[in-house]
Amino acid sequence: MFDFLIEGFGVALSPLNLGLAFLGALLGTLFGALPGIGPINGIAILMPLAYTLGLPAESALILLAGIYTGAEYGGRMSSILLNVPGDAGAVMTTLDGHPLARKGLAGPALGLSAVSSFVGATIAILGLTLFAPLLAEVAVMFGPAEFFALMVFAFASMSVMMGKDPVKTAIGAVLGVLIATVGVDSGTGVMRFTFGMPELYDGIDFVVMIIGLFAISEILLMLEQAHRRDVDTEMPPLGRVFVSLKEVLYCKGAMGRSGLLGFIIGVLPGTGASVAGAVSYTTEKRLSDKDGTFGHGDMRGLAAPEAANNASAAGSFVPMLTLGIPGSGTTAVLLGALMLYNITPGPMMFTERPEVAGGLIASLYIGNIVLLALNLPLAGVFARVLTIPRWVLVPAIAILAFVGVYQLHSDLTAIFLMLIIGVFGYLLRKLGFSLAPVILGYVLGGLMEQNLRRALSISGGDVGILWQSGISLGLWLAAAALLVLPWLLPKLLAGNSPREDVEDG
Amino acid sequence: MSDLAKPVADRLLGIVLIGLAAFVAVQAIHLDVPFSYEPVGPKAFPLGLAILLAGLSLVLVFKPGADGHWPHRAQALRLLVVLGLLLAYALLFTRLGFVPTSLLVVAALARLFGTTWGKALITGALMAVGSYVLFTAGLGIGLPTGTWLAAIL
Repeated sequence: MFDFLIEGFGVALSPLNLGLAFLGALLGTLFGALPGIGPINGIAILMPLAYTLGLPAESALILLAGIYTGAEYGGRMSSILLNVPGDAGAVMTTLDGHPLARKGLAGPALGLSAVSSFVGATIAILGLTLFAPLLAEVAVMFGPAEFFALMVFAFASMSVMMGKDPVKTAIGAVLGVLIATVGVDSGTGVMRFTFGMPELYDGIDFVVMIIGLFAISEILLMLEQAHRRDVDTEMPPLGRVFVSLKEVLYCKGAMGRSGLLGFIIGVLPGTGASVAGAVSYTTEKRLSDKDGTFGHGDMRGLAAPEAANNASAAGSFVPMLTLGIPGSGTTAVLLGALMLYNITPGPMMFTERPEVAGGLIASLYIGNIVLLALNLPLAGVFARVLTIPRWVLVPAIAILAFVGVYQLHSDLTAIFLMLIIGVFGYLLRKLGFSLAPVILGYVLGGLMEQNLRRALSISGGDVGILWQSGISLGLWLAAAALLVLPWLLPKLLAGNSPREDVEDG
Repeated sequence: MSDLAKPVADRLLGIVLIGLAAFVAVQAIHLDVPFSYEPVGPKAFPLGLAILLAGLSLVLVFKPGADGHWPHRAQALRLLVVLGLLLAYALLFTRLGFVPTSLLVVAALARLFGTTWGKALITGALMAVGSYVLFTAGLGIGLPTGTWLAAIL
């Protein structure tokens, strides 16, 4: 049953892939630590360059997954030191992380967060190893109707769990799916929404889309913050970046519980690191906060969200690898990257491309150890990245974006399209949308339509096939329950909890 | 920012999106397939999306959220300048070549994001040359040397 893992370690331990896992971890931590650049932006900016290297699929995926998990590590730096979360997953880290830093415990806080990240990720990677092949075996039985129902469920779960405004999340997803319909229709060869432009026949290119949506809109958004000084950029002294065994053991319960919670939340499609962080923090607070120390620099309050957000990052690989349904915005980008290599992730990947699935999982084990080894001694170096001014950062992003798109297309139309999508992304963000649903819709849209049409071809046009099987009926009911419950529950319980209004990684 | 009691941005967005939905629907209806082996065809999916989008947008129109913080005039102007710079970068990228264009655009961006002209120019020069070496020698990416330069030579 674990043959894929043995083969995977064979792949991941080759000198090239080991080097790439290391490089990915390093770049990811750096990008995650940069102000304003979370995992999703980091991958969007670095992906086209990884693509140029001409790496085989599994190596490219190992590099990108390294960047992803590394960025989750890097995101905590500014949370702890500056009280500014580097990405959505690190929002909860500020609550106890920054008070610790203000107490002069910045170093131990960074050390503890590295250890908790490691513990959370380890729990989740073990879960991924055990759970993914089992789920893949179930998923082999999925037909087009089941896949369609699964995607509906994924979008429903995302609308409810992600972002502050379910309507806007749903609109974002629909816009993403609509963008995916541009180009030649694979079923009939008809051109859709191309307006006679040959550049659009193949659809809106993935790289153009993610660079525009994330990198360009980020540049425009940063402009508003360039002249604003509402954050105290005073860096607290690091002190020793070392965490004692006693401190780790004090938090072991928090780490274990949050790691498990984070994994489960990561597996659910559409719910990423920010939900995991929030749920684990509130759970841990309820369980352990006997003396009211949470929020004033309690180590457990730092360990819980850190373990959870790294666990959810690894957990979101479960639906992506086994079902081809990304668990988060970032895994949606990774899924798109895989599609560039003509690999459609899904249940067959464990049997047909074990070197990709196994190699990735094995590299997560390796990357996790590399990250711990990098982050304990080098925290001081990474912390210095925080002080890079925007006037250096923004032009660098611009160069990476332009070269990334140019080297794939060598024509100006792609670059113009990237700018247009960038403005579109900027407007969406200003209007309170998160971009993760848009990218999920865009990546899944094509598959969703294909599966719908394949299902209806099988049934000869009878829509009943969509909910005929037990699996698909269950998914439809689960989706309906997800959409109705958040609206119904508060009325039943007469009270609701506040939501996070941050972009999800 | 307006002090209107009713939030405007979401209503406006809702109306624009309903327009988009109508446009998509009209475009989809006019997709003609000579013959098809499958019952669904290329129309149904975009049509369904258009209906869904229109429905969701109606919710926005009738239950809009609060307006966000929009840039004031000076910020909006700077935003347009940045966009103009990126557009110029695109237009000059192949014509003037990677290094000179990057130097100019990086320097202008750095200045806009709040540094002095001196530092901006040094950053521009370092980044343009540094990234050129990194991309061409390090990653083997071919970058344009500029058609204008080639025309002169």
